[in-house]
Amino acid sequence: MADQPVVVVDQVTKTYGKPNEKQYQALKGINLTVNKGEFVGIMGASGSGKTTLLNILSTLDAPTSGQVTINGQDVTKLRGNQLSDFRAKQIGFIFQDFNLLENLTARENITLPLSLQNVSARKARGVVDKIANTLGIKDVLGHYPTELSGGQKQRVAAARALVQEPAILFGDEPTGALDSTSARELLNTMETLNQEQGVSILLVTHDPFSASYAQRILFIKDGQIGQELVHGDKSQEEFYQEILSTLGTFQQ
Amino acid sequence: MLTKLALGGIRSRFRDYAVLFSGLVISGAIFYMFMALATNSEFIAKNAPVTGANFIFMFGAILLAIITLVYIVYANTFLMSMRQRDYAMFIMLGAKSNKIGQLIFLETVLIGLMATAVGVIVGIGLTVVTANILMAQLHAPLIGFSGFYLPAVLSTFLFFIVLFVIAAFFNQRRLLKTPILQLLHADQTPNRIKQKRVWFVVQIIAAIVLLGIGYAAMIYIKVLQLLAIPLALVTIVAGTYFLFNSLFVGLVAVLKRRESFANKNIRMFTLSQLSFRIRDYTKILSVVAMLFALALGAITVGLGFNHQIPLMASSQSEYDVVLHNPSASLLTKADELTDTTKVTYSQKIVGEHVYYLDSQVQAHPLLIPKLTGLGQTTTKALDATAINKDDGSAAMTLNEFVPNAREVKTPKVIAAAEFATLEGQTNTIVTYRVPNFVQQYDLIKSLVAADNKANHVNTSIPVVNSKFTAYEVINGMFSGLEFMGFFLGLAFLAMLASTLMFKILSGAAYDKSRYLMLQKVGVRPRLLRKSIRQEIGALFLLPGLVGVVHVLFGLQLFRTMMADPYDRIWIPFTIFIVLYALYYGLTVWLYQSIVINKQLADQ
Repeated sequence: MADQPVVVVDQVTKTYGKPNEKQYQALKGINLTVNKGEFVGIMGASGSGKTTLLNILSTLDAPTSGQVTINGQDVTKLRGNQLSDFRAKQIGFIFQDFNLLENLTARENITLPLSLQNVSARKARGVVDKIANTLGIKDVLGHYPTELSGGQKQRVAAARALVQEPAILFGDEPTGALDSTSARELLNTMETLNQEQGVSILLVTHDPFSASYAQRILFIKDGQIGQELVHGDKSQEEFYQEILSTLGTFQQ
Repeated sequence: MLTKLALGGIRSRFRDYAVLFSGLVISGAIFYMFMALATNSEFIAKNAPVTGANFIFMFGAILLAIITLVYIVYANTFLMSMRQRDYAMFIMLGAKSNKIGQLIFLETVLIGLMATAVGVIVGIGLTVVTANILMAQLHAPLIGFSGFYLPAVLSTFLFFIVLFVIAAFFNQRRLLKTPILQLLHADQTPNRIKQKRVWFVVQIIAAIVLLGIGYAAMIYIKVLQLLAIPLALVTIVAGTYFLFNSLFVGLVAVLKRRESFANKNIRMFTLSQLSFRIRDYTKILSVVAMLFALALGAITVGLGFNHQIPLMASSQSEYDVVLHNPSASLLTKADELTDTTKVTYSQKIVGEHVYYLDSQVQAHPLLIPKLTGLGQTTTKALDATAINKDDGSAAMTLNEFVPNAREVKTPKVIAAAEFATLEGQTNTIVTYRVPNFVQQYDLIKSLVAADNKANHVNTSIPVVNSKFTAYEVINGMFSGLEFMGFFLGLAFLAMLASTLMFKILSGAAYDKSRYLMLQKVGVRPRLLRKSIRQEIGALFLLPGLVGVVHVLFGLQLFRTMMADPYDRIWIPFTIFIVLYALYYGLTVWLYQSIVINKQLADQ
């Protein structure tokens, strides 16, 4: 079981528009695999289909055809409450615009996924303290999101995503709204989580620097995966340069 | 081009506009309903035998105008929350700001005008329906009242046009003076309101003390006389405000702090929504609570008078129907009365006296009502001795036994032998008593009419000598008041519930993203729906509860006018609560359809 991939995407297509209307195919048969403990990046320009892919992966949208398996479960077969519960237990999200509930404090935001599973208040407190420690937001737990900086908000969002120990963490341009220092800190944290805690991460971005933290990068263009880069033993600087040059040729 | 864009904006948010529009229509309709009554001074003069009825209506009109104003302000905020981003976008794209200003002005006034026009039409319909229902229920002939009343139409239009033009100026100024960036990001509002503990405690104490004074003032109205009303009004309004501002905010805070309770499902979220809401809602909740009390009070008092009428009619006579020498067919018809106690007496009239048979009176003593208090009577049974010793007071009441009586005859009870020797014809008097006069009103009415006709009673000269005639006279006096109480109560209820509904719905646009987020992180749609039901439920329940308590104390004021203001109080309360609950259901349904993402929920 240890070798079972966390995410398997098999021949996924997505077509928008009804059959008798003008149709647009956003995804044209995507195949990809994320192994346990892997940090995978997905890059592509605007309109390449990366957001559609992420929506399907995160069960917010259903594919037109094909299969998506997360942690051994075919998510395209889930319906209603199963789907909500699956999202709550197996998937962690970080969004570009944080998506924190601004009427809850940081602690309450992070506790929310645990409350959904009726974890006892005392146990939840311990778990939240632990993850807040890891992410360096212990001192701001009592604050409301509007009282936090962008970087802190994204850490709170990350804590909320990770608190129920999901099978995979999806990041949708998580550094998009952050300044460079905060962005670097967040990426370092994600790298640490990946390496030390074995959190599987799938990061969708168009920022080469963010992508250079991944172990493997898939380039998506016009709804298809075109190219794959592997970090391997290269230094981050070298990998970054490689990404840049790939982007230069790939986009043409 | 810009006009086209603006119209396109309306089309794309049709449902939101539908909510806004229907809300405005309701407020217009209710305002018209009220005005149809309030501006019809002829009707008021005829139907309210109380001096100052016009004053009461002026007071009501001002109150309603204030609520309508509050309502329009909320509706306008709702409109702006929908439109400001679009307009900011147009400005960003280079649209001239005075052009935008014109557009906003036009949009606001147009929506207002259309809503008012539809509202008046709906209002006419509602007025006719309500008036007909009430007329049928109250046996009240509402002379001079009509669904369509031109002064009411004019005043409604005038009032709403003025309000909307003001709102339009306000919107225009606001959009043009606010920096564009702020307009674009208007929905990201920060919110942490700090409250000092001392101030909090002071407010709780103030709330309790003020409400205590207000309630006491109403209970001791006999001591305080007229002073009680302004005293109660001021203290209760202030007390209600403090109550919402402190106690309920505190209650939510306490619940939030109890982690074992709060950390379950999305209770924490529901509570947080509430705690921010309640602060924001303090004023509106206080207003709603007060209006709730006024509306419920008006209906309860209206219904109280309604119950009062048969009671007062009963103080005229113990018998519901008295037939004089009835024909066989009339007797058969009278047998249709249910649960009756039927007694037949023989009677002879000689000169100033009316004679009864000793044996019959001994078997069934004659009954007269005895006044024990305000509108309250007990039955007093008179035997032969009591009747023969009567000083004249029983004669008055018992005169309804005399066919076609024009003057009071003194009753005498004599033995059968003596009765037989008297000259004159023997009348047969048949009396009926039923448990509920009003329930069998229609049959009783036709029996009395037939009896009057058979005995050649000239009904054009009304003589109050039976329960039926007393009922007709008292009902004629009070039904106008009752009608107004009901009408006012219903109008206020519709208005306050709409206002509350609007205030809640105007926040829905902001809440949309929160609920979407919760759906994304895996909260079951069922839980979200439950959270919405609870949150809105609390917002409806709190002012409702406070309003009910106000009314329970407020009814003390009417103890001087009614035998028992609390008599059958459950009827108005039930009517009221059912209507209020309907509004609650509607609000929840609309709110859910706005904030819950259907696509995600139905997957």
